[in-house]
Amino acid sequence: MNPLTIASRDTVTGPVLEITGDLDYATAPELRKTVDHLTLAAGQVLVLDLGGLKYCDSSGITTLAAARNLAGEQGAGMALAAVPANTLRILGIVGLDRVFTIHPDTATATTAG
Amino acid sequence: MCRTDADREPDGEPDVDATDSAFISLLEDSAEELYDQAPCGYLSTLMDGTIAKINATLLGWLGLERSQVVGRKRFTDLLTVGGRLYHETHFAPLLQMQGEVSGIALDIKAAGKQRMPVLVTSRVKTSGDGEPMLIRTTVFDARDRRAYETELLRGRRLAEEARRQAEADRERLQEALAVLQQSLLPAALPAIPGLEAGSYYHTASPDLLGGDFYDLFPLGTDRWGFFLGDVCGKGPQAAAVTSLTRYTLRAAALHDPDPVTVLTTLNTVLNERYTRGDARYCTAVFGVLEPGRGHVDVHLASGGHPAALVQRADGAADYLPTPGGMLIGILPWAEFTPARTRLYPGDTLLLYTDGLTEARTGPDRTLYGEDALRAFTAEQPAAGPQALISALGRLLTGFGEGLDDDTALLALGVPAALPASASEDLR
Repeated sequence: MNPLTIASRDTVTGPVLEITGDLDYATAPELRKTVDHLTLAAGQVLVLDLGGLKYCDSSGITTLAAARNLAGEQGAGMALAAVPANTLRILGIVGLDRVFTIHPDTATATTAG
Repeated sequence: MCRTDADREPDGEPDVDATDSAFISLLEDSAEELYDQAPCGYLSTLMDGTIAKINATLLGWLGLERSQVVGRKRFTDLLTVGGRLYHETHFAPLLQMQGEVSGIALDIKAAGKQRMPVLVTSRVKTSGDGEPMLIRTTVFDARDRRAYETELLRGRRLAEEARRQAEADRERLQEALAVLQQSLLPAALPAIPGLEAGSYYHTASPDLLGGDFYDLFPLGTDRWGFFLGDVCGKGPQAAAVTSLTRYTLRAAALHDPDPVTVLTTLNTVLNERYTRGDARYCTAVFGVLEPGRGHVDVHLASGGHPAALVQRADGAADYLPTPGGMLIGILPWAEFTPARTRLYPGDTLLLYTDGLTEARTGPDRTLYGEDALRAFTAEQPAAGPQALISALGRLLTGFGEGLDDDTALLALGVPAALPASASEDLR
C-alpha cells in the first residue's frame, strides 16, 4: 500500500498534476476531488503526470476517464504523461489508449501545444 | 455538634464532661426508643409464628395498630401469598435446621394494599438447656434495591429487544440482498442441447453485491446469447449499473443480436444515464452461439474486456483477440471489436473477468497475467466447460488473499463424442 500524493503546478499550457503512489478504490476519490476544484480555461490542457504511479486499478482508470470528461466540459483537453507500463497495458485492454492523449513525459506534454 | 469558644475553659481546654453528658442524655432512653423507631422492622414470634412483639417502624409499614397484630396474627399473615409460599417451602425449614436465616427477600402486605419488598433475617432464641423459645426477626426495606434491580432488568430487556430487532433487520437486509443478487446473476444456467456450460462467481464484497456479471439465454429457438462483464467499482452503486447493464444487454439482443450492435446500444444507455464525472463504466463480452452439425459457431464482440480464451480438444489454448474494443459507457461514441470462432466437440470457450488475470500471486505478489492463464488452461485435459471451471476454481482458491477483486467465469463448449476406447470399457 502506497499513499497517494498529488502535486499541482501551472505551466503555460495548463495545470500539471503529478500523481504518486496507488490510485485505487480507496484513493481515487482524492484525485477526483482535486480535478473537480481545478479551473481550466478553454483551450488549456490538463496534464496528469503518472511517472510516480505505483498501482492503478479499475477505479483509478475510471477516475482518469472522469478527469477527461471534466476537462472536456470546460472546453479544455487532457493528456497523460509518463504512463507506467502496466497501466498502459490496462489502458490498451479497455481501449482507452486510443481515447487519451498519451505523452512520454510532462516536458513533451507541455510543449506539444 | 457546634461548639463555640464559650464551651472552653479559661485555659483553652475543651470541657470534656459537658460533651459526655450531652451524649448520655441523647442515648439515655434509647434502648426502648431504638427498638421502636429503628430504621428497620423488629418482630418476635412464638415458635408457632404468633407475633408476640413488633416495633412501630414495621407497624407503620404494615399500616396496622399494635392491638391488631400482637397475639392475633402470625408472621406469615404479614406476607403476600407468594411470600407465604416461599416462607413455608424455604424460609421455615431453613430456620428450623440452622436456627438462623439471613437476608431472604420476601414481600409483605404493606399499608394501602401495596406490596412491599423486604429482606428478612430471623434467629431462634433458645433457653439455657437449648430448647427453642422464640424467633427474633429483622425486616429491612428493600424497595429502593428492588427498584434498582427492576431498572437493571428493564435495561437488559430493552437491550435484548434491540438486539432481536437488529438481528431481524439484518435478516431482512440479507434477504433483500439475496433477491438483488439473483437479479444480477442467473440462478442456474439453462440446459442447451448439444452444448455444455459452466460458471463460477466469487465476490470480494462483504455485502455480496459484486460488479461482475454473466448470463446465458435463448435468442429464439436456434440461437443463444451470452455475456460476461465487469462494472467498475463496488457495492450498491455498482450493483445498480450491473442490473441496468444486464437487462439492457438482454433486451438489445432480442431486438438485434449482432454483438457490436448490442454493445453499442449498451454504450448509449450507460453514457446517457451517467454523463457527469461520476460516470460508471463497464467492460463486457457479448456473443451469440449458433449450433450447427457437430459444431457451434461463436460470434462475439468485446468492449474493453480481456480477450476470451479457447481450449481446443487437442490441448491447445489460444486467445480470441478483440483488440481496441473500448470501455463501455465512457464516450458517446465507442468502437467494439468483433471476432468469430467455431467450437468442435471437446472445445471450450472461456470468458473471465480481470479478477483472475489481475490476481496477485506468490510472496512477491506478482501479477498472475494472461500468459499464465493460457499456460494453465493448456495443461488441463480438454474435459469440457465444467471440468475447466472446477480446475480454475481450485486455482482461484489457491490464490487466497491475492484474489482481492470480484471474479466471474463462464465456460461454454461442445461435449466431446464418446471416445471409442471409453465405449470399449463400457462393455
